[in-house]
Amino acid sequence: MKPCCAPLEIALSDNKPPYLGFGLGLRPEHYDEILSGNPNVDWFEVISENYMIPGGKPLRVLDEIRERYPIVMHGVSLSIASTSPLDLDYLTELKRLADRVNPKWISDHLCWTGVHGVNLHDLLPIPYTKEALDHVVDRVARVQDFLGRRLTLENVSSYVTFAESEMSEWEFVSELATRADCWLLFDVNNVYVSAHNHGFSTRDFLHGVPRDRIVQFHLAGHSHEGDHIVDTHDHPVCDEVWDFYRETVSHFGPVSTMIERDDNIPPLAEVIAELDTARKIAQDVAQAKQVIAAE
Amino acid sequence: MTSLKELQARFQAGIMTGDDAALNDINDSATESRETLFGVYRHAYGARLVEVLSNDYELTHTYLGDDAFADLARAYIAAHPSDKRNARWFGRYLPEFLRTTAPFSAHKEVAELATLEKALADAFDGPDATPVSMEELAAIPPEDWANLVFTAHPTAIRLRFKTNAADIWMALNDEKTPPAPAQLPEPQTVLVWRQDLTSRFRLLDPEEAMMWAEATRGARFGVLCEMVATFAGAQEAELRAATYLKTWLDTGSLSCVSPDCAQSHLVMGTAH
Repeated sequence: MKPCCAPLEIALSDNKPPYLGFGLGLRPEHYDEILSGNPNVDWFEVISENYMIPGGKPLRVLDEIRERYPIVMHGVSLSIASTSPLDLDYLTELKRLADRVNPKWISDHLCWTGVHGVNLHDLLPIPYTKEALDHVVDRVARVQDFLGRRLTLENVSSYVTFAESEMSEWEFVSELATRADCWLLFDVNNVYVSAHNHGFSTRDFLHGVPRDRIVQFHLAGHSHEGDHIVDTHDHPVCDEVWDFYRETVSHFGPVSTMIERDDNIPPLAEVIAELDTARKIAQDVAQAKQVIAAE
Repeated sequence: MTSLKELQARFQAGIMTGDDAALNDINDSATESRETLFGVYRHAYGARLVEVLSNDYELTHTYLGDDAFADLARAYIAAHPSDKRNARWFGRYLPEFLRTTAPFSAHKEVAELATLEKALADAFDGPDATPVSMEELAAIPPEDWANLVFTAHPTAIRLRFKTNAADIWMALNDEKTPPAPAQLPEPQTVLVWRQDLTSRFRLLDPEEAMMWAEATRGARFGVLCEMVATFAGAQEAELRAATYLKTWLDTGSLSCVSPDCAQSHLVMGTAH
């Protein structure tokens, strides 16, 4: 084992993050309603970069909301799979925000966002090779050392596959989680989108990743573009993704679940109604399991 | 087998420059060509950055219209690829780009309009500081007033405009037809800052602009009164200076008023 991949010297908690229930992505459009109404949302996920700023209203609002709700930080530009050096300025700012917010966990995406000092502001795919796996395992270990906590990584929606990939996405994700000792965010919609685009089975992915590493689910809407699907987060969750969510909850059991909406943002009540659908599905699955157990 | 580093370099070049070498690294899907699939990333790159610029420079977008703003955004994206992890900072060079790059530089009000939008955005999420209140000033013994120095709120920035960009901003912000662009006979001073949680700006008359500039450079209140007297006459000079100071306190523009304040670190921005 390479030195980089040895067990972390710092004392990471062995405890899996707590189950938080059903949450929403915190969006500025909903600030006032949340602060005045204390809506029935169990927790909020914030886009880390939106609060990696000097001061002003966003941080003031975040301070108020974190007094009332558990917060999870979700980044979009860690670029964990990039072959460029880790950005220590970014990590320092991320850690500073975490010190302020005290999130239940910090997540980002299993992807890269640029090389050579450029950021493309997109979640770019990686080839599923042993070389890429070694590279990402090493980077995750170093980031976890720096942050003093385990990282949670999310599977992204992708539109291309690489000729040189040597394993499936779920084999790559599983190996990574085990070797880097990190948590996983299972994005239900992203599995659906990538399965459609690349012709694999959502069930293979679902059954191919380790249950004990999953700490969060994402749900979101997407858009069909010809014969492929683009992960746009601008629509309600579709029936097919709800069906897969039911299957996912049935397989993994209760996992903190949240709905992402990044464009065409509807009134808060509408997103809460969607969240209630997720609650209902999870309750139905739990009840069905109890009935089966009782029988 | 190609290395990950080379693969990422080709992939990025394929997105940014249209180079097709990256297509050799990827597969066709069962239903779509690799060109179509890679095109998702190519399209998303430009579309996302145009959206970032449009959000950050909403009124500049309105003023220019969709087509001209799209031309501007494409030129800017090519000239200034994003070099920060946070998209918040991607558009920070746009005012300077507008000022120095043809054909945009021929329309000087556009650069100043963008400068004002950037200053307001920077004030919105700029550093926090507690503003000094009138009560705090009143508690300072009169004999100390001549020695008072001032620190601007850290979000405060002074701009100097040669065009009517501020009037254009106000009209656009009220969803009215903006006035025709015009050169001003004398440059106009605009003070931008954040009051509580809201970004604001106001126009300073020449005397107040002079006093603000000198105050935030560290001049003591006694000296400022003398400067005001020299600027526009000795009669009621102290009253005028005190009135400006009261306005600064009423608007939350100062973060320190005492004989021992640190000098403001950021007081001047120019749109030329």
